[in-house]
Order: sequence, then C-alpha cells, then structure tokens
Amino acid sequence: MKARHDQRMGILFAMPWILGFCIFLAFPLISSLYYSFTNFSILRSPHWIGTSNYQELMRDDVFHTSLKNTLTYAAASVPLATIFAILLAMLLNTKTKGMAFYRTIFYIPSLVPMVALGVLWLWIFNGHYGLLNEGLTKAGLPGPPWLTDPAWSKWTLVIISIWGTGNAMVIYLAGLQDVPQSLYEAAEIDGANAWGKTRHVTIPMISPVMLFNVIMGIIGSMQTFALPYVMFPGGAPARSTYFFSMYLYDTAFSYQRMGYASAMGWIMFGITLVLTLAALKLSAKHVHYEGG
Amino acid sequence: MATTKTVSKQRKNFVRQIWIQSALIVMSIFFMLPLLWMIVTAIKPLDETMKSPPVWIPSKFQWDNFWSAFSYNSKDLGYIPFLVYGRNTLYVTCLAVIGSVVSNSLVAYSFARIPWKGREWLFGITLATMMVPGPVLMVPVYALFKEFGWIGTFRPLWVPSFFGSAFNIFLLRQFLRTIPLELSEAAKLDGASEWRTFVDVIIPLARPALVVIAVFAFLWAWNDFMGPLLYLTDQQTFTLSMGLQFFQSQHTGTPWNLLMAASLIVVIPVIIVFFFAQKVFIQGIATTGMKS
Amino acid sequence: MMFASVGKGLTTLGILTVGVLALVGSERAASRQTNSERIVVTYWEKWTGDEMQAMRRVVDAFNASQNRIEVRYLSISGIAEKTLLATSGGNPPDVAGLWSDQVVQFADADALTPLDDFAREFGIRQSDYKPAYWNEMTYHGKLYAMPSSPGTSALYVNRGLMPPEYNSPDKFPKTLSEFEKFIKKVSKQKGDGSLATAAFLPRDGFGGGSWPYLFGASYVDGDRVSVNSAGNLKAWSWVHSFAQRFGVRETQSFRSGFGNYSSPENPFLSGKLASMMDGPWFGNFIRLYNPKLDWFAVPFPYPDGHPELKGYTVLNLNTLMIPKGSHHPKEAFEFLRFVQKQEVMEQLCTSQFCNSPLSNVSEKFLREHPNKAIRVFDDLARSPRAVGPVKFGIWSQMGQEVGNAVDVMDLNQKTPQAALDQAQTRLQESWEHYKKQVLNQ
Repeated sequence: MKARHDQRMGILFAMPWILGFCIFLAFPLISSLYYSFTNFSILRSPHWIGTSNYQELMRDDVFHTSLKNTLTYAAASVPLATIFAILLAMLLNTKTKGMAFYRTIFYIPSLVPMVALGVLWLWIFNGHYGLLNEGLTKAGLPGPPWLTDPAWSKWTLVIISIWGTGNAMVIYLAGLQDVPQSLYEAAEIDGANAWGKTRHVTIPMISPVMLFNVIMGIIGSMQTFALPYVMFPGGAPARSTYFFSMYLYDTAFSYQRMGYASAMGWIMFGITLVLTLAALKLSAKHVHYEGG
Repeated sequence: MATTKTVSKQRKNFVRQIWIQSALIVMSIFFMLPLLWMIVTAIKPLDETMKSPPVWIPSKFQWDNFWSAFSYNSKDLGYIPFLVYGRNTLYVTCLAVIGSVVSNSLVAYSFARIPWKGREWLFGITLATMMVPGPVLMVPVYALFKEFGWIGTFRPLWVPSFFGSAFNIFLLRQFLRTIPLELSEAAKLDGASEWRTFVDVIIPLARPALVVIAVFAFLWAWNDFMGPLLYLTDQQTFTLSMGLQFFQSQHTGTPWNLLMAASLIVVIPVIIVFFFAQKVFIQGIATTGMKS
Repeated sequence: MMFASVGKGLTTLGILTVGVLALVGSERAASRQTNSERIVVTYWEKWTGDEMQAMRRVVDAFNASQNRIEVRYLSISGIAEKTLLATSGGNPPDVAGLWSDQVVQFADADALTPLDDFAREFGIRQSDYKPAYWNEMTYHGKLYAMPSSPGTSALYVNRGLMPPEYNSPDKFPKTLSEFEKFIKKVSKQKGDGSLATAAFLPRDGFGGGSWPYLFGASYVDGDRVSVNSAGNLKAWSWVHSFAQRFGVRETQSFRSGFGNYSSPENPFLSGKLASMMDGPWFGNFIRLYNPKLDWFAVPFPYPDGHPELKGYTVLNLNTLMIPKGSHHPKEAFEFLRFVQKQEVMEQLCTSQFCNSPLSNVSEKFLREHPNKAIRVFDDLARSPRAVGPVKFGIWSQMGQEVGNAVDVMDLNQKTPQAALDQAQTRLQESWEHYKKQVLNQ
C-alpha cells in the first residue's frame, strides 16, 4: 500500500521533469546522437556514414591535443577550486562584522559576465606591462609571459578560474549553514580542536554538497569555453589553450561539420560520464546522507 | 580563576576576530579588482582607457558616461534601449526564477525523499543530460522551438525553466538528502500527506538551498546571451546582455568607457539582489536549529 | 484528509499551470506587424555601434524612397551562427550581412539564392565593380552576394619614427631588400635585448595570414591544398625570421591580447611599432586614440626582381546575401540594388571608414573621406595582386591551421618545413573529406 502510494507520489512530484525531459531534451539528444553517425553540415541534410566520424576522431591529432589540454585543465582546476571554495565559504561562515558585504564582494566576479572580463584578464596577465608581473617584479620575482608561453597559458586560465569559484562558494555556504550547531558543541565537549571539528563535523556534513560541486566542476571544466575563446582566439599560442569545446564549436559552426562535432560531443559525454562515475564510486563511502 | 579564564577567552576571541577580518579584507581586494576596474574605466575619458601603465585615477571624472551609455543609440531607435531591454530582461528573469524554484523543488523532493522504482535510473539520466555539450544540441533545439512557433518570442527563454533543470534538481536533491528522514516520518505519523510534508516540513528547512536556486536562476536568465541571440528577432524584444554587444564594433573602435558603464548598469541590480538574498542564508541558521 | 490535501496541492499546481499556459498563449510573436501594406524584408547585420548607425541610415533612406517595401534592420553579434541555424530551420532572414569568406561554404550547401537573374533584371553589371571584389562575390560562375563595405590592406607608417631618408611615401622602400635595410635601421633594442621599437612585425595588424601571396605563392594548387609549397615555405620563413631576429617573447608581447588592438596600447598607436599592415578603417583608430600621430600609407614593398608582384594587398569584403528560403528574394534584391547606387555606397563607405567596391569612384568621395590615404587603398583594391579568400569550403580551417603552424615555428617547436607539412597533411585530408561529403565527388 505504502509502496504503491510512494510510487504514485514519486512520479507525480517528478512529473515536471519527466515532461520537460520528453519535450525539450529527448529529441535534441537523440538527434545529436544520430548526427554523430552522419555527415550533417547544418545546412545540408544528414547522410548516414556509419562510424567514420568516430574513426576519424581517433586519428585526429588536434582532437588529442584539445583533449589533453582539457583534461589537464580539469585536473588542475577542479581540486584547486574545491579547496579554495570551501576555505572561502568557511571564512564567510564565521561570525564577524560586515559579513553581508564580504559575501557580496566575494561573489562579484561570478556576477559579471566572463566575457566582459576577458579584456581585464589580458591586461592583468600581459607579460610586458601587466599588473601581475609589475607586482611580481617589485617583489623580486620576474613573472613569466603568462599569455604567450605555451607552458604558462593554461595556468593563466586555471588561476582565473579561482576568481569564478563564487557559485561553488555560495553552495558550500548554504551547506555550512545547514550544519547543526549542536554537532559542533558536542565535538567541543569531546575536546576537538578547530581542525578536528572541520574534519569530523563539517566535512562529513557538507559531503553531499561537495560531491555535487565536484561533479559539476568536472562537467563544467570539461566544457570550458567562453573565457579561453575570448582570451586566446584559436587556442594560441600553438594550440596550448585549445580546449575540447572550442574545437567542437569551430568544427560545428566555422567548418560546418556538425556530424563530426556531434561525434566529439558524444565522446566528451563518455569521458565525462566515466569521470563522474569514478567520482561517485570514490565518494560512495565518504558521502554522508541524513535522509533517504 | 574564573575571571582570568574569561579574559583569556575574550582575548583569544579578539585575536581570532582580527585574523578573520584581515583575511576577509585581503580576499576582498582580490575579488574587488574586476569591479573596481570597471568603475574606474566607466568614468574615464576614452583616451585614458586601456593604457599602460594603467590609469587608476582619471584626469577627469566623466559621470555623464553613464547617461551616454544608458541612452546609447536612443536617437536612432526612437526609444531608450536600456529601458526596453531592462523591461524584457525583467520579464524573462522573473518567470524563469518562479519556474525554477517551483519545478525544481518538486522534482528534487521526489528524487531525494520518496522511494520509488525507477528513481535512481531517472536520476542517472538527469545527470547524464548535463554531460552532452550544448553546441551539438543547438540545431535540434532550434528546430524544436521553430516547430512550436516560438521563434521571435520570449518563450524559449523561460518556458523550459518550468520543467526543471538537471543542475538545479541535482543541487537541491543533495540538500534535501541532508535533512533527517525522521522529520518527514514524524510529520506523516501525525497524519500529514506527502504534499503537506513537502510544504510544511521540507520547504522551510530547505530555504537556503532554495535561495541558491533562485539566485542562480536569476543570474542565469539575466546574463543569458546565447538564448536571446538565437531566438529573438526584433530589436524591441532584446535583452540587456544583447544590448551590451552594441558597444563592441568591428572597425570603428570600442568605446571601452561606455561599455564598462553599461556593464555596470547591468551588473548593479544583480549585486543588489544578491546582497539581499544572502541574508536568507543567515536565517537558515535559525531553522536548522530544529534539526537537533 | 490525506486525499483532500493532495487535492489542494494539485489545485495549487493546476492554477499555476493554467497561469503559465495563459502566459504562453497571450505572448504574441514579437515581430510586430506594420499597419501599412508594405512587404517586410528582414535584414540581419553584424554591425554595432557607429557602423550600425551608418547602415541604419541607408535602410531608412531606402524605406523612405518607396512605399512598397519595408526593410527591418536587426543588429546581432554571432551572425554566422544565427544565420546558419535560422536557414537550416527554414526561417532565414531575407538579407544576411555575412563576410565574403562565407560565400563558398553557404553556396556549396545550397543555402544561398543565386543573384544572376536579379542582377540582369535590375541592370547590375560586372563592370560596375572592381574585379577583385566581383570575384569574391561569385563562385562557379554564379553571383551569390552584393558588396556592402570593403577594405584593402596597406602599410601604415609612423612618420615621427622615420629617419629623413624614409619620411615620405616617395622615399619609402619599394622592394623587399630596401625594406630589409629599413627594418635594420629603424628597429631599436634596449640594453637587455628587449625591443624598444620594431620597424615592422608581419603578424600584426590586418591580413597577417596571406603572406605567401606576396611572394606569388598560393595556398592551393589547382584542386589540391599546397600550404607547404616552396613559395609558402619562403614566405613563412621570412615571417619567422622576425621572431628569430627580435626574440619570440618580444614579438609576441607586442601583440599579445586582443584588447590591445582597439586601444591606445596598440603598438603602432603607442609608437612602438613603426609600420603596420592594416585596412582603411585603421584611420579611425588613429583618430580615436592618437589623433596627433603623423602618418602616411604606402603599398607593401614587392620581392626584388619581380615587378609583376607589385600591388600585394589583402581584401576584406562585407557582403549582403539572400539565403535560400527567403520569403521575398526579389524585394530583398531591390534593397541590395539601392545600396549599390554610387552615392549611397560612397556615403556608407565613408561613414564606415572603408574604400568603395565600385569601379567608379567620385572625386568627392576620395577628397572628403576621413582616411586621408584613401587613394592608396582605392588603388590597391584595383590591383591584380589583391588577395581574397581561397574558394575552398575549408577556407576558415586553412586560416586556423596555418596560423597554428606559424605559432609552432616561432616557438621553435618545429622547423618551418615540418610545421607546414603537418598543416598540409591535415588540410589535404579535410579537403578530401569536404569533397567527398559536401561536393559528392
């Protein structure tokens, strides 16, 4: 009886999404999967060409370069952003004066459209007269040519991604607010210090939110597009900042090979899925849920 | 003995406050940089923008840049575009926020707190939809909206938000799962229906997370550029994010100062919204007190 | 009790749904109908800012000139994507302001209306246009576009940085070997080896992707890609020599970042670069950011012993095309025809800082043009050595691949030959694909 009731209620409550998925997503998803097996060019109708897009991808060295760039970027920016966002959120969760202002200020870079900031970053990171290198030189550390040296250009983007941790930070903050004060009090009675409280109370309690942020971080960094597209046209220098989504976008819209781009999209889907499953698997033991 | 302990505790607390405040101030400078640069640029004369070494204090403060940006093109169009674009943006944004909060809380409740067959499976698919990169879905999605006759209307920009989005469903599900299951069971034992449990027990507890959803929906709709670009076909229906594009040109030079002034006009409402929204996080503390 | 409450919940949801549906229904399609009986021609254009206003004036003039057709001008960025999607969705604008680079791709996809019949009907002749521009609008003998505002590239020279022997257009080097001496003489390095003044940097400004054509080489050889031919190698080795001479870090830091171009920090405008290839519109940047700069413009020097290669210039052409599926192609063409009138075209090109695509150019246009060197640009547009896009559907890919190859050689990751060989392999493969999949060969 209860099971049947739950079944009905579950589907009823999930109905908006079930409908939304069927109306707005099912058709586009299936279409793009189909396109990946065709020579679709947006303007010309698709013809079935079997797996030859996928075969071509395996041989395509720009595909490999962009994949390597993207994975490197993800591997660097996801952990860095996670640590940074949690630390910021904890700082913003303390009781002190002027918190409303600090929270807003920390979130500002995420409010400003990234594209509007592209110019600002170029100006800060310019190796010749950029603000950053000016500061570094004064501190006795001559900075590298951030934008024009292929060894540094990717790291420039990783550093900039820290500015954009606002969304993750806000989510952590909401998560931290949900941690019952009594748990800290109990830990204090047990003699836990600040680190102990963080380790045994905060981290387990926000672990579901961490899982969310890490998975979104993986998906987001795999699809990084706007900022490198604006800052490094064509992935310059020497394709060191040419990311998967940029190659995909160029392939679809400037080379007009939507079929090939769709194949890239589904490969990206596969890789992201594997990474996400790995994250879920690794976290299964550590994520602590209160509810069902 | 007791008094010295209090004094040393007070001193410890004072030192702690100083540490927190200085950390907050240092980080604030770091995060304020983009906004500061925008403000300074917005009030400069054009020939002092984009100079090196950077001009931090303009030779003269051109406050009327704001008015020039606000009424940019109004002579040609016969109306002040920012007012019209602002109205359009507000319309789309309000609907998108309402739709997101309502639909995602329902769906996430189903995924997080009602055990039903097929729920994990559907949730897996929900997550997976985010892993397919957007550009490969653009063609079929456009075709779909065209089939509905929605090209040239605001509908593609807000209707989908009434059907939930994978990101928000996942986010909210993670939050709802941190709420102890006993709470809803207790409510149900008291005779509350699923709906009452959802409205009276879960929603109040999930307030910080719902605010996060609302803020994200607001930001997303406010800053959305690709949607309006693809689906709007009349100058009168354009949104603010598109209005910003009018300041960048191919060959006649970009009025950086006006661009930044216009960007500020667009960003400031968002900052204000966030400033007030984040206060709800603080109220969240009070509600979670219930949990223990 | 339980069911009553579910009922209440459902009622709330129901009311919300009805409300949403009512909104969906009431929201009118935003394109307003005019009250007149005019035929509406929609026109999408990439321009914003002053360029948009210049074209809007033309549109207003057209609408006022007759009472049958109303052109609706819509300014959008991302025009290529939007036009692609709308055309594939069967919902294209009647006129699209694309670049001439897109003629071949769109024509190959059968997405454009050929304009030959209209041209004949409305009395538009090939001889009305400068041959290089006419060539860009045609493909396989068919006319697919009409010009709006075009450009050519010439060498801007900062007179203030010139020693007396180079300080006028007459005295400026005419051949590459003289140009080489000029580079040695004018470039200045600081004590630490960093660059104070560069006489010239081939990868700065406009048209930095077409240098092989200066040496008489080409990206294609008949039906094959040939970006690694001897002529290409020679050209790119010449370009590469600048990075070797000044140091790759120095040459790159001069041009790092797109924010520089339209700003007082543009190396030419800030006096760090003595000469630069750019289009007529650059005159506007000088006016905006460094009006006191004393400059002149000359055609780029030619390779010694090859006077037939004189007059090298890179073309840029904004065009008006009528996508397949346009509801009113003929009315759209009437508007295109209006833009082609000499006085309309000259007015448009004047306000956009461009030269004119028409073969007849009025003395008034040349005299009153805001770019004082407009005659140089106009002459170059008539040059037989004017370079437009290659008529291969993979043209945009060629630009990317070759640009990357030059990056790779400048960073000393590969020799010029190896870098070009790699680009050649990739491009030839893409071209084979394109022929098979798009051209069905």
